[in-house]
Amino acid sequence: MSDHLPSGMTESPHAFDTLRDLLVGPERRDLEDLRRQLEEAGLTTEQIAEHLPEAIALRAARDEKLARSLAPTIEGAIQESVRRRPEKIASAIYPIIGPAIRKSIADTMAGIVTAINQAIEHSLSPQGVRWRIEAWRTGLPYAQIVIRHALLYRVEQVLLVHAETGILLAHAAAPDLETTDADLVSSMMTAIRDFARDSFQSREQGGLRTFQVDEFTILVEQGPRAVLAAKVRGQPPDDLLERMQVTLETVHFEFGDPLKQFDGDAAPFAAALPLLEERLETVVATDRREGTRWGPRVAWGLAGLTVLLLAAWFAWSTWRWRTAVDVLAQEPGIVVLDTDRGLRHSRIAGLRDPAAADAGEVLAQAGIDTRRVEFDWEPFVSLDPRMVVARATARLGTPASITLALAGDTLVATGSAPASWVARAMAATIPGVTAIDARGVTPLFPDAIVRLRRQIEDRQIQFAMGSSALPPEADSPVSGIATAFARLEAEAAELGYRATLRIVGRTDSNGATETNQQLSRDRAEAVGRALTTRGVATEAMEAVGVASSRPIVGGDPAEAGRLNRSVSFEVGLAPTTMTRGGLE
Amino acid sequence: MIQKKICMVGVFGTGKTSLVRQFVHSKFSEKYHSTVGVKIDRKPVQLGGTTVNLLLWDIEGRDGTQEIQTSYLRGASGIIYVADGTRVRTFDQVFELRAIADKALGIVPSVCAVNKVDLVDTWQVGDERLAELDPTLWHALTTSAKTGEGVEEAFQWLAGAVIGERPE
Repeated sequence: MSDHLPSGMTESPHAFDTLRDLLVGPERRDLEDLRRQLEEAGLTTEQIAEHLPEAIALRAARDEKLARSLAPTIEGAIQESVRRRPEKIASAIYPIIGPAIRKSIADTMAGIVTAINQAIEHSLSPQGVRWRIEAWRTGLPYAQIVIRHALLYRVEQVLLVHAETGILLAHAAAPDLETTDADLVSSMMTAIRDFARDSFQSREQGGLRTFQVDEFTILVEQGPRAVLAAKVRGQPPDDLLERMQVTLETVHFEFGDPLKQFDGDAAPFAAALPLLEERLETVVATDRREGTRWGPRVAWGLAGLTVLLLAAWFAWSTWRWRTAVDVLAQEPGIVVLDTDRGLRHSRIAGLRDPAAADAGEVLAQAGIDTRRVEFDWEPFVSLDPRMVVARATARLGTPASITLALAGDTLVATGSAPASWVARAMAATIPGVTAIDARGVTPLFPDAIVRLRRQIEDRQIQFAMGSSALPPEADSPVSGIATAFARLEAEAAELGYRATLRIVGRTDSNGATETNQQLSRDRAEAVGRALTTRGVATEAMEAVGVASSRPIVGGDPAEAGRLNRSVSFEVGLAPTTMTRGGLE
Repeated sequence: MIQKKICMVGVFGTGKTSLVRQFVHSKFSEKYHSTVGVKIDRKPVQLGGTTVNLLLWDIEGRDGTQEIQTSYLRGASGIIYVADGTRVRTFDQVFELRAIADKALGIVPSVCAVNKVDLVDTWQVGDERLAELDPTLWHALTTSAKTGEGVEEAFQWLAGAVIGERPE
């Protein structure tokens, strides 16, 4: 170092140190400190190895940073491992990858696959009944009959075999089966598979998966360290291999270490026996050889029956509907023009007389649920006789004592009714009725009218023999009659009636008929005139002469003659409105 | 119970099947049956307190050594190489077979049985030839499937070897 120093400084190294101290002293001390710190705090590789696990645990507990920074390295390592030794990774994840994939597939399929056929098949099988009969007939146990007809398959033996050596690890057999050479079978099977693999140069993990010996099928499921083989009598189902795969995966998972370290001692695998026994099964089902399956038949039968029932119900309800509509159409005052039958709601449109029966009630009586029927009626006036009568009955307020009927367009009333009703009926306008015949009706008049009428009709005016001159003593009765008639007219008018007075003149039976005829009319007219002078209107009166043709009977001939030389009265009462027919 | 896979390896007609038959069933037949593929037999062997169940894979013998199906060797704990002492060529082929098996399987306890020692007149494999077998790699002996000579010893030795005992 000193070689490079300026020449004047060689003699005094102390001077140089001093100078150095002056120039970079603080920095040097800092450097020294740093070096010391590094040496004290710096860790050797061994020390790191010592503390690494705790350090990782500590940091991982604190936050996610460690995982984040390690992730790329681990990913890279796995990639490298897969690239160089794929079988290692495959072997490691074998126990978990199968179940994961299968579960995912099974979940998807579960929604699609339905067990309906199976359920029907087992519960509704006529085969079962037939087998029972056969068992009874042959005296064999029912179970034997079932197996004879319906044995699908039976897993009789399950072997767990060490993949590499072909040595039997564990073995389960059906209870009634004698198996002594399972270890030989296991080795032989391995040999056969080795042979097949060599002969057909198939890949390491595949190989012979099923082969048949007599009525047996041998199913083989190959794993990395163990092989599961099943000896099956009959036709094994497709999913049996899949279930064997599950078992094999479980074995790999639970017996990973014993499998890896296997050196001929099968003792640890005794614990796998329950797993193998799970695969022993006897499955019987409906005899399928005939190719006919009852399940679908029954299902179709049921479907057909349902269709038939529905059709029958539909036909019946249509028939009932039509019948009800027919009944409705025949109802007077209802004209059905259009029907629209729906599944939920039905509609009936047409014409309906307001006096007609309620359509809903008619339908209800025919058994139709009217809550679902909607009516659309145009009002109209029906000329159906029944409707006309019904309408007249309603409009006239007809009492029960009156019977109405229609003859042509004339309404015929019979019975008895207050005179006021008759008057009102005669005056009424009823659609479909051009005339009212109330001749069969006895009008019932109020007492006042009846009394006045009797008062008038009881009177007679006597005349002298052969004379038509009103005698002076007739004055008073004529006045009485005039008064009574005036009152009668007033009372009748109030009821809508018009009163008329018929004056009937008579003679005794002596003398010529022609003379007597004239005399009787003269007498009646004389009284008429007298009444006119007392205020009775001439148009309300009618004077007639009947001579002796309608005699008043009574007493001896002299008395009878006296009685008949007279005038009597008949009161008529008729409704004011005469245009619609008349009352006598 | 310990189970071990043992393979019988050798070319055509050396007596592999006959050795197994003698060992397992104590029987011998002059009739020759060639083995197709592989035949498997089982023999429990008592070794002190333990029973070793030997699963004997009697592999088909072929003419050439290259044709041996090594896949049958997979997982074997021990191998019995069989040569025909009356045909020296088959003894030579044992070495080739050994090389192929070691490559496929790795080194496992092995026995070299030079068979048909009862046929003294035609015997071709002398002691000097037997000495070629490295005792650290092989247990060499002469056997006769017909008389049973050496048969029990060959299998007993191998059974002990595969479970880790080496009887002197």
